[in-house]
Amino acid sequence: MESVMSSIRIKPVIPGFGLTMGFSVLYLSLLLIIPVAGLILFTLQMSWEDFWRAVSHPQVVASYKLSFLASFIGASINAVFGTLVAWVLVRYSFPGKRIIDGLVDLPFALPTAVAGIALVTLYASTGWVGQYFEPFGIRIAYSQIGVVIALTYIGLPFVVRTVQPVLADFEKELEEASAALGASRLTTIRRVIFPAILPALLTGYALAFARAVGEYGSVIFISGNLPYRTEITPLLIVAKAEQYDYHGAAAIGVVMLGAAFILLLLINGLQWWASRRG
Amino acid sequence: MSIHIEGVNKRFGDFVAVDNVNLAIKTGELTALLGPSGSGKTTLLRIIAGLEHADSGVVRFNSEDITGQHVSERGVGFVFQHYALFKHMTVFENVAYGLTVKPKKLRPSKAEIAKKVHKLLELVQLDWTADRYPSQLSGGQRQRIALARALAVEPKVLLLDEPFGALDAKVRAELRRWLRRLHDEIHVTSVFVTHDQEEALEVADRIVVMNKGRIEQDGTPEQVYDNPANPFVYEFLGNVNLFHARVKASGETKFTSASDDSAQQGDEQDGLAYVRAHEIEVLTSAEPDALPVTLDLITMVGPTARLEVLNQQDGKLVHIELPKEQFKALNLKSGDAAWIKPKYSQVFLGEGI
Repeated sequence: MESVMSSIRIKPVIPGFGLTMGFSVLYLSLLLIIPVAGLILFTLQMSWEDFWRAVSHPQVVASYKLSFLASFIGASINAVFGTLVAWVLVRYSFPGKRIIDGLVDLPFALPTAVAGIALVTLYASTGWVGQYFEPFGIRIAYSQIGVVIALTYIGLPFVVRTVQPVLADFEKELEEASAALGASRLTTIRRVIFPAILPALLTGYALAFARAVGEYGSVIFISGNLPYRTEITPLLIVAKAEQYDYHGAAAIGVVMLGAAFILLLLINGLQWWASRRG
Repeated sequence: MSIHIEGVNKRFGDFVAVDNVNLAIKTGELTALLGPSGSGKTTLLRIIAGLEHADSGVVRFNSEDITGQHVSERGVGFVFQHYALFKHMTVFENVAYGLTVKPKKLRPSKAEIAKKVHKLLELVQLDWTADRYPSQLSGGQRQRIALARALAVEPKVLLLDEPFGALDAKVRAELRRWLRRLHDEIHVTSVFVTHDQEEALEVADRIVVMNKGRIEQDGTPEQVYDNPANPFVYEFLGNVNLFHARVKASGETKFTSASDDSAQQGDEQDGLAYVRAHEIEVLTSAEPDALPVTLDLITMVGPTARLEVLNQQDGKLVHIELPKEQFKALNLKSGDAAWIKPKYSQVFLGEGI
């Protein structure tokens, strides 16, 4: 009781812990915790055998593989090229820089279905880009490559927007110190700049990955949704729900939830490890 | 390694940072580039380091022209005002950095690097911090680590950009005495930038006073302090008062006020006399050549009494410093009348009149 009294006596500059905390909990409950708990509770109505049958069907397993692998590849591509875009936007000034800076956020703003249709038009075997790959026997649209492209597209802003401010705040003196000590440009990037942006890069990577795993709208247009080949897990969930198999949909949802949670936890751990020394 | 700067110019847009500077720095000397902000001293230092490139002119180490060389090839040690230590590396890794980035053929073995790093950490008296991260050290300690890191590559010249600028007064005073002793030990040609005249006077073998991208004066601390080349140097080195003066051909100086517009007599010339605050005598009674004043503000700063007095002739403020004891003996208080007499002055003829 006494400790509560004393903590009340210390008045912070901006009061209102109770109010803001209460609202945060309510907000998170309504939007996040209750739906997720509901999903899990709903799944618990199933018997273990039913659950296992629903989540381990070969078609579903194939979709997990595609969803997580394509998300992983997409996020990795974004990690490399998003960092490059962030670097260019921070380090150089050129005409049209602001437009490009604004363009980066487009995947956030454009309806994903529109993006999906645009990508299909572009990468189909008769499309502007797709026609040049067709002669080599490379099909982009309606293949797993198409899935990767769609997931790369929607994840782009995350890496750029997390790395950009860190690069902008990076002290130029650190680079100069490294150069004065005899380090080559590449060594300076590898040993001084990269470790500084690594925590932010991992955050962006995690966000891009998480976003890609959950993506639905843009992928269904470009993937062609061929069972066992280009079906992503969210599509299967929607398909099951449309067939009134709500339990089956929820079961797959729980698996996705668990996997995404573990992966995000891992990436957060990695990020903590990278930033621990800063 | 001597440094030769020949006709170096540098502009940033319309701003002339370094204006046709010529300077030679001898081997083993500790030189201060002293000047107000915007005087071009840091730019000049960065041009020597290769962190900036001159628009025109030549930089040589000994006789070798290194103007076009990249900073990483010049073999300079550079110490930054804000330390610029690598945050994600331990103190040991920071100091070892310059050795570990050497190409494989030239890189010493791990054992040799460890030995050298520990020797350097002992030199800066921070051997016990080897496994810590920079964020766990104080400002003064960080700057010593930054210095050890710069020395690890055995630089031909050591360049320090306001090395004590971010530290508090006590640590600053300690560190500059320490730097002086360190330089006496290792004798590497060193140049440091400062805007603090006291720091330059205390630490340097030689002071280069800069203003608006040009060198105003270049000499030993004593030369620069005792014989300032021009009013700028005089004003920059210490608290100084200006008096109007008339100088006869014989060298005899008479202090006048600005309102004194009586005609000059014969061989007299008008000038401005520069008198340092501690070179003024305070008298309680009139004497020939003493100026009548009124005491305005009295502040005691430790052992020193700082007075602001008003010149009764022209109402101008005069700053005076004298030992507290001496001031106490005069038994003066604010509002009292007194007389002042410059003990030593330097007159620049025709300046600003």
